[in-house]
Formats: sequence, structure tokens, C-alpha cells
Amino acid sequence: MIKCVVWDIDNTLLTGVYLESGADLPGADPELAGVLRELSGRGILSALASRNPPAAADYVQQLTGADFAAVECGWGSKADAIGRIAAGLGLATDAIAFVDDDMLERAEVGAALPDVLVLTPEDAAEAPGWPEFSPAVITAEARRRSQLYAERRRRQAAANEFGGGRDDFLRHAGTQITIAPAVPDDLPRLHELSVRTHQLNSAGEPVTQADLAGLLASPRDTVTTVRLADDFGDDGLVGAAIMTGNGGNRGPAARVPAPVLVVTVPLIMMSCRALGRGALDALLAWLCRSAAADGAAELRVPCLVTERNVPMRLALAAAGLRADAGSVAPDGRAIFARRLTGELPALPDWVTAP
Amino acid sequence: MLAQVTGRPELLGVPPDTPLFSAGAGLDSLAGTLLLRQVQRRYGVDVAAEDLNLDSLETLGTLAAFIAARI
Repeated sequence: MIKCVVWDIDNTLLTGVYLESGADLPGADPELAGVLRELSGRGILSALASRNPPAAADYVQQLTGADFAAVECGWGSKADAIGRIAAGLGLATDAIAFVDDDMLERAEVGAALPDVLVLTPEDAAEAPGWPEFSPAVITAEARRRSQLYAERRRRQAAANEFGGGRDDFLRHAGTQITIAPAVPDDLPRLHELSVRTHQLNSAGEPVTQADLAGLLASPRDTVTTVRLADDFGDDGLVGAAIMTGNGGNRGPAARVPAPVLVVTVPLIMMSCRALGRGALDALLAWLCRSAAADGAAELRVPCLVTERNVPMRLALAAAGLRADAGSVAPDGRAIFARRLTGELPALPDWVTAP
Repeated sequence: MLAQVTGRPELLGVPPDTPLFSAGAGLDSLAGTLLLRQVQRRYGVDVAAEDLNLDSLETLGTLAAFIAARI
């Protein structure tokens, strides 16, 4: 059972960023403020861990009327902050949940404290229906989501115990990455991914189901999906890429006959669940190899350059793609490209691909 | 730092010309981003904002030089 929920402030309990708002301070997120009240009614404690000055915590306290059992404000790591909160309240870390909108804060806390239940704000909104937060009747969907987090906690704990490098752990965990052409049944999930992914999204723009259906039918474009599973659980469809210029989902017969020299990838997106599990690296390696096999000489990925999608840029760099330093367009995009000669990034043997 | 973000203690004391990506230290996008965050916290250098291609992450040596030039 969870006994204390540690909340982030910016873009989590507040609808914006406290320090960037000047005199016009952001309001409380109404849904999460409701969760705070609901949990408090069940006797579950709340605490704050934020990079804001203490004044922000006072502001959140006034706004929500919540009684925070502990407040940690500062620039240190949130895992350390949670450790101090747990020690101060006399709780084991497996009785703590942590809610943050930032994928990297979640990853850091998950890695340092695998017993902590680490949640996105979206999941925190439904968490009162989960068994960890309530002995009451639980829906099947809530049970499934809660199970997904339990799988993640077990995976993280096993990874921490495991001595070797990442690839050794991926093999040890029975990781299966499946790359395959998209089919119409995938469209709702693909649309959802295009809306929900930010830090692992090259385009930064949602794609409608109608547009996706158009891409599936087009002889020039390919939509490719990535599925991820291991011995700890099955995450299903976690990512996708759109390729333009080589082929299309309708098979070789429908392909554009003339050889295409440049393959462009207008969108690469990946769920944060797949972070650190090799799925993005596998997708990029496959894109390089698939374009090269089709006779292309160069792969191009237009990528929005922001502070948030550093993980995407790192994966591009690791796959050998580079952008011209002066090439960032006024819309914030830069073209990351690589020649498809020489040694291409490797596809590990746990990847199944066409 | 590198040993911590990759969870591989054997990386403590690797030579400065060890490649960080792929075959070298096996830095992936998660470990790489966590490393850049720790660099920002400890040295106040925002590598991601200044280095579009993240070429400074080629090896430990290039990253150290990039940081040293800015502090």
C-alpha cells in the first residue's frame, strides 16, 4: 500500500511553470487537486519535491488547501529528496509514490529507488482507483495499469541487481523488439503516441488518424511500428517511424520503381516506457539498414531541436546522424543526416525486423 | 558519473579516448541525457543547448574539454 505521494509542482500540481509566470501565476491542476483531496480522505500523505524556491510550495499549499507532510525544494536530485522524505516520515520507499511530468526525473528516481511507484500526472489522475491506493473495488483497466507499473518496478529492481551493461541486461530480461509495417488496427494507438510523446518525438506535432490512414495507403510512404516485450511484461506498440521515398506499406509491387537516393523520415516517436530498453536505437538502426537495402545513399531526419527532446538527439547522434551547426531552420528544425555507406548501426539479435 | 548513469562500475577510470556511444561505454539516450543533467548540475554547463550534434559526447576527453572551455 502507498502511504505517501510525493508530488512535483511545475506542470504537475500547477498547470504551468511557477518561476516563468511572473505576476500571472499558474493555477492548480483541477484533476490532480481532486486526487490530493481524495487521497488525503483515505489517510494517504502528500509531500512536495520541486526545483522551485520554497515560496512555490507555500503557493501550492494555499491554492490546494492540502496539508503537505514534507516539502523538499532545491536543485539536488529528486531521488535524494524522496529518500529524505521517507526517512523523515519513517516510511519504507515501497510505501512512496512519486508523480512528475518530466520523463527524466521519473527515470532518475526509478533507477535510484526501484521500490518507489513512479507515475506520470496522467496516471496519477486515475491512481485512486488502483489497488495500491485503495482496498475498494478495482476496475480491470485500473488493475492492468497498476500491473504495468508493478512490472516496471520488478524490471528496474532486476536491472539494479544485474551487474553487466545495458545490452547484457536486455538479453538477460528476454527483451523482444518487433519492427513491422503498420496495419489499420494500429492507427488509434499511433495517433495516441503522436499526441503523447514529447521527449522521444522528432516532429513535435500530432498526426491525425486520417493522415495516418493516408500514409498507409500511399505508395511513397512507409509507416513502421515497434513493439516491445520482455520476461517482465508486454508493453505492446511503443513507437513508430514514417519513411518517405522508399516503398510504402503495400508491398514491393506497389513501390516506386526508380531508385530513390535520399530517404527522409518525417516522424520518429517512442513511448517513454521504452526509454533505456534499446527500442529507439533498434528503430534507428533498422531505418538506416532498410533505406540502404532499398539503394538509398542518405538518410535524413528533420528533428525539432528543443531542450526537451535531448534523448531523441542523443539517439540520432549515436546512430551516426549529424546536422549542420548553422542549419536550424526558423521553425526550430534541423536536418540530421548520414551517408548510408560504411558500417551501419547494428541490429541486436533480439530485434525481429522485415 | 559515467559509471553511475550506465550502472557499470567497471567504467570508473576508463581512458579519456574511450568512445561513449555504441561499442565503447554503450551510452544510450537515457544514460546520455542523465549524464548531461549531472554535468549541468555539477558544472553549470548546458551541453545540449550549446552543442546541436552533441559531438562533445564522442569520448570522455571531448566532453571534459567542452566543459573545461566553458567554466
